[in-house]
Amino acid sequence: MKRLVLRACVAAFAAVLLAGAPAVQAKELSGELEIFSWWAGDEGPALQALIDIYNKKNPNVKVINATVTGGSGVNAKAVLKTRMLGGEPPDSFQVHAGQELIGTWVKADRMEDLTPFFKKQGLMTVFPQGLLKNIGTDKGIWSVPVNIHRSNVMWYIPANLEKWGVKVPATWDEFFEIAPKLKAQGIVPLALGENWTVNHLWESVTLSVLGAENWDNLWSGKLAFDSPVAMNAWVEFTKVLEFTNADASTLSWQQATDMVVDGRAAFNIMGDWAAGYLSTTKQLAPKTGFGWAPSPGTSGKFMFLADSFGLPKGAKNRETALAWLALLGSREGSDAFNPLKGSISARTDSDLKKYNAYGQSAAADFKKDRIVGSLAHGVTANEGFMNDFASIMEVFLKTHSPVATAKAAQQVATKNGIGK
Amino acid sequence: MAQVELRDVVKKFGSTQVVHGTNLTIEDNEFIVLVGPSGCGKSTILRMIAGLESVSGGEIRIADKPINEVDPVDRNVAMVFQNYALYPHMTVFDNMAFSLKMAGDSKQEILRKVNEAAEILELSPYLNRKPAELSGGQRQRVAMGRAIVRQPSVFLFDEPLSNLDAQLRTQMRMELKKLHLKMKTTTIYVTHDQVEAMTLADKIVILKDGFIQQVGSPVEVFERPANRFVAGFIGNPPINMLPGVFHREGESSSVTMGALTLPVPEARNLQDNQRVLVGIRPDAIKAGDSVTRFPKEWRFTVDVVVAEILGGQSLLEFTAGKNTMIAELEGRILARQGESMELGFDLNRLLFFDPETELALY
Amino acid sequence: MPGPVMPDQAIGTSMRNKDRISAFLTLLPSIILIGIFVYGFIGNTFWISLSDWGGAAALAENPVKSYVGFANYLDLFTGFLGGGFRQDLVNAVFYSVMLLAGAIGIGLILAMLLDNKPRGESFFRTVFLYPMSLSFIVTGTIWRWMLAPQGGVNILPTYVGLPPLRFPWLSSTDAILLFNWQNLLPIALYLVSLVLIIWGLWRLKNNPAKALVLLIPGVVVGGSVWLWGDLLPQALFMEEIHGFNTATFGIIMATIWQYSGYTMALYLAGFTGISQDLRDAAMLDGASTAKYYRYIALPMVKPITISAIIILSHISLKMFDLIFAMTGPDNGQTGHPALNMYLTTFRANDFARGAAIAIILFIIAATFIIPYMISSYRQRRSR
Repeated sequence: MKRLVLRACVAAFAAVLLAGAPAVQAKELSGELEIFSWWAGDEGPALQALIDIYNKKNPNVKVINATVTGGSGVNAKAVLKTRMLGGEPPDSFQVHAGQELIGTWVKADRMEDLTPFFKKQGLMTVFPQGLLKNIGTDKGIWSVPVNIHRSNVMWYIPANLEKWGVKVPATWDEFFEIAPKLKAQGIVPLALGENWTVNHLWESVTLSVLGAENWDNLWSGKLAFDSPVAMNAWVEFTKVLEFTNADASTLSWQQATDMVVDGRAAFNIMGDWAAGYLSTTKQLAPKTGFGWAPSPGTSGKFMFLADSFGLPKGAKNRETALAWLALLGSREGSDAFNPLKGSISARTDSDLKKYNAYGQSAAADFKKDRIVGSLAHGVTANEGFMNDFASIMEVFLKTHSPVATAKAAQQVATKNGIGK
Repeated sequence: MAQVELRDVVKKFGSTQVVHGTNLTIEDNEFIVLVGPSGCGKSTILRMIAGLESVSGGEIRIADKPINEVDPVDRNVAMVFQNYALYPHMTVFDNMAFSLKMAGDSKQEILRKVNEAAEILELSPYLNRKPAELSGGQRQRVAMGRAIVRQPSVFLFDEPLSNLDAQLRTQMRMELKKLHLKMKTTTIYVTHDQVEAMTLADKIVILKDGFIQQVGSPVEVFERPANRFVAGFIGNPPINMLPGVFHREGESSSVTMGALTLPVPEARNLQDNQRVLVGIRPDAIKAGDSVTRFPKEWRFTVDVVVAEILGGQSLLEFTAGKNTMIAELEGRILARQGESMELGFDLNRLLFFDPETELALY
Repeated sequence: MPGPVMPDQAIGTSMRNKDRISAFLTLLPSIILIGIFVYGFIGNTFWISLSDWGGAAALAENPVKSYVGFANYLDLFTGFLGGGFRQDLVNAVFYSVMLLAGAIGIGLILAMLLDNKPRGESFFRTVFLYPMSLSFIVTGTIWRWMLAPQGGVNILPTYVGLPPLRFPWLSSTDAILLFNWQNLLPIALYLVSLVLIIWGLWRLKNNPAKALVLLIPGVVVGGSVWLWGDLLPQALFMEEIHGFNTATFGIIMATIWQYSGYTMALYLAGFTGISQDLRDAAMLDGASTAKYYRYIALPMVKPITISAIIILSHISLKMFDLIFAMTGPDNGQTGHPALNMYLTTFRANDFARGAAIAIILFIIAATFIIPYMISSYRQRRSR
């Protein structure tokens, strides 16, 4: 088995070399590779595991790990932009797969189309079609996803729910039934954190109201933000917010999750990085210690977000960068990285034994569910829209008017060319 | 109308005592100068009178009222500081008017008093200027004006002239004196400059290390110093001070300093063979025509070391019987080193001090 | 303090020319560097703010920038989507005013207390100055914890047996001093008239003629806005309410905490620089401690007050990291134009609009510093 994998890798490599630099033939790679990311801290070891494998395979390549920490990538993105504008792109850089990459870098014609690379590597078949649709455009595929996270997950403590006598709601209507009961007991029905977690909650609520088809239509421009259907999402969102904690804006997502763990709140909707936090930091056992379910009304839908790496035009070390991308797309690479990062592989053929209970369940869903992209994490809308979404949310929180908010959202969408 | 009285006044800073039980009475309208080397406690005494320092022991009375616990402003004293302490952001007028404003005088009243003081001090043209735009002498006058407008019962001066150049200092000294004659206010003046003390004072108080050495009129402290320190401190050029031995033979007495023996004309309460310090004021030594006015025994031939001509006067350093002395002589003395010269000594002005106690022996 | 002017005719003209040339040559490198890297870049930023650089191809290798005039500015002040920026601007005004009042007031009081040399003066000086040495991120994190709804400041009263406070320091959505952005023009004119009238009344005592020149236009402007204010164009097509968001209060507290020690040190240095004689003189002149500070010490340290105002107002205009650490980047309640500029430029890729915000901030900063520079230049000339 091992030998087989190895042989596959070697073959893949040869293919890369042939595709990338036909003149060089199957010579061993040498030189440098600069990879740019905001992965330090918790994600550092996962990235290091990948670099270790890369080093083993290409001992003559010097890997430069350029990390810019802080602000969940805000700082790194700013640094990246100044580098790119200055004509000094790194060989490969981390970016949220989807419109965050496409809207900024593909539209600016700064990325290489990876379709030939995907075909050579056989990635067209191992990645789900829904994923490929989200990371590409009609002009090509633009990045290699390293990991997959799910956004629409609801977290809870089974023992607590039993104590309070409530069941996990499958729809928002069920939630609205149990929420007043929880509130009467002095329990916050839904824990919420600072600003971006509000956006995160919004996409789960909106997905449940619109359904997968209309969600996609919203972002392809086929469904207007101020259409009655889309407006309904804001109505529903108003209702949901009534059952959240008042001090949300002062809490980090971890603190919001803590509320659930401590029994001060019943549920929390957060991406599945919360699984890592609950099991590693909070020392709770998956399934028994903490439980999860798709956020209300989104069962059968997998709202994904992914970190990915692309190949900027004008990269100084194109060959070593291609080898890096090949490693990221490979089963070996992704199965080394994802268990450490607490995410799942984008490949449908990953080795599930390497993942924990949550990862296995998520991987199973990823294989069968309808895949949609996340807004809050850069898949469905470009950076301009995401930035202005903050002011949409501001309008909403100030006016509590779904009509005004939906109108504002449509203006923002038009301005930022959503669906174009 | 204010007499200032210090009774056993003591000042301590922490464990260091700097003023040791001072007793002093300053009569109404008197101009008294506290003089002494730095660190003698003169400024401290002044500041205690002003109320800027607390009194550690004893009592200070102004106009027969104890004021130890009275706020500075209520003591009715005004002070002129060494560096003038003018408020730099205020005009001359505002500087002078400040205390009146604080006292709540009416605008007309302030205007009248300030203008009056400005008139006296010839400051009227400068009332709208800031201190930075004035010369040193003008600033000095503003500082005085600020004191005058309050019409205090006691003026306190803390080395007010020491920041001025020599010429201006002499001029301001005269003005100060005139001002005092005009205002007739009790004045306490602190300086380390004995010339200022001699020229200004009705009464000089000489201090050293927190003790009063002598209180007296300028002539008194010059001619009859209480001790060696006073004799040395007062007078410029300084007194010639030489160790000697007193001899008494019947009615006549003399003093021997090395190879020089001077007859002592007055009967002194000294023992034969008593060791003394002999003080001779440089101006008690004469040359030229005036030598002939002295009896023959009072004339001596000396060897010139160096002669300095100071305009109308000359300073002569000479040796007589291996003693080096300085004489302050009238006229221009042209003499070379090693030349001999006849000098007359006014032996009536000889001063004797005990070498041990350093007290004057009369 | 320069003394009286002395004509320096003694120095030869050729000598002075030589001096000037060598001084110029010494300064030349820094003149060139500052010219390029400060003024050149300000100019470039201004040009960008007049362009349409942004949108989908903003980051292309050679982005297309076309001239659009003041469209970006117009959009920020009157456009539908500029609401966030407008609230940020209002916030910035309140940040500045409150920081100035708080840090200077508290710093001054502390300096006065320490100026009277209490026991342990140097210890307290260090204590008060310490926050200054922290970075904004650290301050922000500390205060974020202290101002948490269920902890820190809010539970302080419980130590003396009182019920805990319930004020949501950083998450409050209340606002006071509300006004409608539509009425921006009348409000600005009212402010102008108010300033003129107050200034006029202040001058009335010393210079009645000049006072009338101020008072009459003040009353005329105020009165005509009151009578015909409705005729003024509205700044916006819809009602938009802005005000002093109470959530900013926590951030203001943290900034004051950090900077009052600094102003204290500034003032303390100034007070210590005043000679003891001056203080004694004031005492003999009958000034109480309060009057000493009011009439002598404070006027004398006016340059310090001015530099403190300039420094603090600049700090309040550059407030970024503290807000970032305390309430995060997308919190409209506590937003600030500097934060908005960063996000607009580097997250939304709207470089032109980001440049426009930067230029607006630059102009606001200039309004603080230029009058100061003019007055100090004039003072130097008149001496």
